Amino acid sequence: MKLLKLNISGVRGLVGQTITPELVIDFASAFGTMLPAGPVLVGRDSRRSGPMVQEAVMSALLSTGHEVINLGICPTPVIQFLVRQHRAAGAVSITAGHNPAEWNALNFINSQGTYLNEFQGSELLDIYHLGRFAHQKLKKSPAVVSEVNPEEVYFSWLKTRLRTAEISRARFKVVVDPCNGAGARLVNKFFAALGCELVAVNNEPNGYFPHDPEPRPRNAGEVASLVRATGANSGFLLNSDVSRVSLVTETGETLSEEYTLPVVAGYYLERQPGAVVTSLSTSRIIEEVASRFQVPVLRTRVGQSALVQTMLQEGAALAGEGSGGLALADFQPAFDGFVVMGLILEMMAVRQKKLSELVKALPRYHIVKDKIICPPHRLHSLVAETRKLYPRAEINSLDGLHFTLKDTWVHVRASSTEPLIRIIAESASAARAQLEVDKVVAFLNRLLG
Amino acid sequence: MRKRFPLKVSISGVRGIIGESLTPQIAARFASAFGTYLGQGPVLVGQDTRPSGTMLKKAVLSGLLATGCQPVEVGVLPIPTILFLTREKQARGAVVITASHNPPEWNGLKFIGPEGLYLRSSQVEEFLDIFHQGEFTFVPAERIKPVIQEKNAGELHLKKILAHLKVNSIRRRKFRVVADCANGAGATLLPQLLQELGCDSLLLNTNLNGQFAHQSEPVPENLGELCRRVKEFGADLGLAQDADADRLALVDEKGRPLGEDLTLALAVQHGLKKKRGPVVVNLSASMAIEELAARFRVPVIRTKIGEINVVEAMLEHGAVIGGEGNGGVIWPEIHPCRDSLTATALMLETLAESQEPLSALAAAFRTYHLVKDKMDCPAELAFRAVVELRHRYQGENISTLDGLKISWPDSWVHLRPSNTEPIIRLLAESRSAARSRRLIENFKKEIKKIIRQLA
Repeated sequence: MKLLKLNISGVRGLVGQTITPELVIDFASAFGTMLPAGPVLVGRDSRRSGPMVQEAVMSALLSTGHEVINLGICPTPVIQFLVRQHRAAGAVSITAGHNPAEWNALNFINSQGTYLNEFQGSELLDIYHLGRFAHQKLKKSPAVVSEVNPEEVYFSWLKTRLRTAEISRARFKVVVDPCNGAGARLVNKFFAALGCELVAVNNEPNGYFPHDPEPRPRNAGEVASLVRATGANSGFLLNSDVSRVSLVTETGETLSEEYTLPVVAGYYLERQPGAVVTSLSTSRIIEEVASRFQVPVLRTRVGQSALVQTMLQEGAALAGEGSGGLALADFQPAFDGFVVMGLILEMMAVRQKKLSELVKALPRYHIVKDKIICPPHRLHSLVAETRKLYPRAEINSLDGLHFTLKDTWVHVRASSTEPLIRIIAESASAARAQLEVDKVVAFLNRLLG
Repeated sequence: MRKRFPLKVSISGVRGIIGESLTPQIAARFASAFGTYLGQGPVLVGQDTRPSGTMLKKAVLSGLLATGCQPVEVGVLPIPTILFLTREKQARGAVVITASHNPPEWNGLKFIGPEGLYLRSSQVEEFLDIFHQGEFTFVPAERIKPVIQEKNAGELHLKKILAHLKVNSIRRRKFRVVADCANGAGATLLPQLLQELGCDSLLLNTNLNGQFAHQSEPVPENLGELCRRVKEFGADLGLAQDADADRLALVDEKGRPLGEDLTLALAVQHGLKKKRGPVVVNLSASMAIEELAARFRVPVIRTKIGEINVVEAMLEHGAVIGGEGNGGVIWPEIHPCRDSLTATALMLETLAESQEPLSALAAAFRTYHLVKDKMDCPAELAFRAVVELRHRYQGENISTLDGLKISWPDSWVHLRPSNTEPIIRLLAESRSAARSRRLIENFKKEIKKIIRQLA
């Protein structure tokens, strides 16, 4: 089975199998054709396949008449910020985020610095499928401008948006694992700007991932033991493009990535009250946090594009999901790991509490996640079959099927980035959540034969 | 009428019009096929000065990276320098982004194999098979290598040329030189070479902005400015490169263009003085070569048109010098390829060793008159017409190696259907310009008659 997934904001696949120079050029040509005239930013995470993909992207953008601003290895939230700074026509971020090293992806960003919305995404696919690209004659070549240290203007902006003085005064010691991704090395500048002492592991942007670049407890072992060994105040685990973060408390407890959203929301909603946008797959802890501030929770489809677009449309205060990615309206409409880390340190400084104390205030639910591999053409029909398992549940079909039972929910959905069906259940009891997930997995496996 | 988008795939690579037929997609496919063909290893990537060069280069880099090659970017450099560096750096091959003398809206890719030689026709066939089958060996992500950028890689080429010359005797003469680089890739190295050789030079058209100064073929009608400047500057000689810097034409101290075939004749004479051995030239080069060879008592081998054909015969016969009548001098001491930089050095050395001016050196060869012409003719008819002529002239001294060449004791005519355009090329040489002209006109008439009968 060849793995290639198109979603509204990009294309993702296995390098050499589906992510080939020609496919990348076709997509980037479609993007260059769709965009209005103007420069386009191009950046990538640290994956070894990055230069191959980036050269192809730049070739296509030049061919469709766009000046290219080459940001080199650069986290996606920084690229999204710089799109607005440069008044660029758009940007391409080359990263497969939390996926293993053999994957890569193109993420298309519009002139507002957000992932393409549904309409832009379908326009892009229409141009791609039609295959008529606006290749220019290039009597004069558009320039390729390489920007050195593009993150600096971003960090100096972020410094003014956080309560930097209070964070600095607290003299935190922080452990971070950027997984040798795009955040490597940049974290030194970032935490220095906040006056923190930094202990970093896997801090070379060389694309060798010592573990999958997915922030979750399974991958947080190194951070946890370093937090304990160094007596640090907190630990952070990043994905390869700094769009997701998971947390480790000062006691060395590795928190589920589900906690990033409610921890940040518990502080940020006080600073900036407003609705919370989240996905159907995200823990219901956020409901309890929102009710404390008497703000609504809006549930929508999984993924940065849908969440951020809803946040903008509804004028919500923040959007985030259980993967550890969140966007704060007051900062920028982008999943931004630097903002998340900054706000957590700010909260610890302002409230003068330890991270474990802040987490303790949150209800504990047990969330269990599993996935099964499924041929792309059967994804949605198999998901639909699971209705039979829960005839009496309350059903939301906005994104796959979300079943609400008495004190448990189960979400079955087709991944938008891989040929997988994801099964997530949450309950006050760990055993119950596991039971529901096992039930769905067994059911689907039977259907798959 | 449907608009036509010309894309030419031939033994010398692929050429097309940017924004129409030569897209980044096609460039990436060719590079992926080439990377698959070469196997993993270092591959040089160079370019000429065209504005679309960067766009195509990036597509090529992507295709090479995806197939596990290690691209080495050498930037804008003359083609002979890239050929030389491919061997010198033991690269698997090279890709050059160039459409040599095609108009600026064109661009193309040239493929160079191991040893720094153009692909032979059998190799081109293998490589194109991979391209057409579209089955490329993309490597997994962890085996993708980074791009290496090499600055000033061309200096190695100059060093080697200088090492093979009597530099001091050239320097002592302090030659005054006017050089026209046609705003081509030669501008990256020719000025430095002239400086190293102690010349006082006036440089024309050395911009690398991709706007060719004039039609870049170094034929007399394009060299008006150079001739004028040679006289004004009181130069000992004028040099004209083509855009790729593989060919060289000369202007004598009186400001007269010598014709490209004279570059070859002078170079062969000098090369044989340095070292005796077989000479290889193509069918269209002047008879002066045979006369020279007779003087040095060495054999001449004639080949089909096309640089790689000459080069292969040179390697096979251990030739000491050779080339093409279009100003493409091949001196294998440096590297077996047409090279205007090597040719320049040989010309300066021959001037330094002689006490005579260039016009006098050239006069020895002025007894021959080579006339070139072409006539429109659909490709299919052209081949049939040439076949018919082969029958008619069977009794004469003919060569059917490439089209038809008929030789008489002190004249010859060569008729050849073009591989790239619907034309027949005609060349004739004799001891008088009028006679050469007449030979051409007679054959044109005869071909027209044959075409009428065939059509």
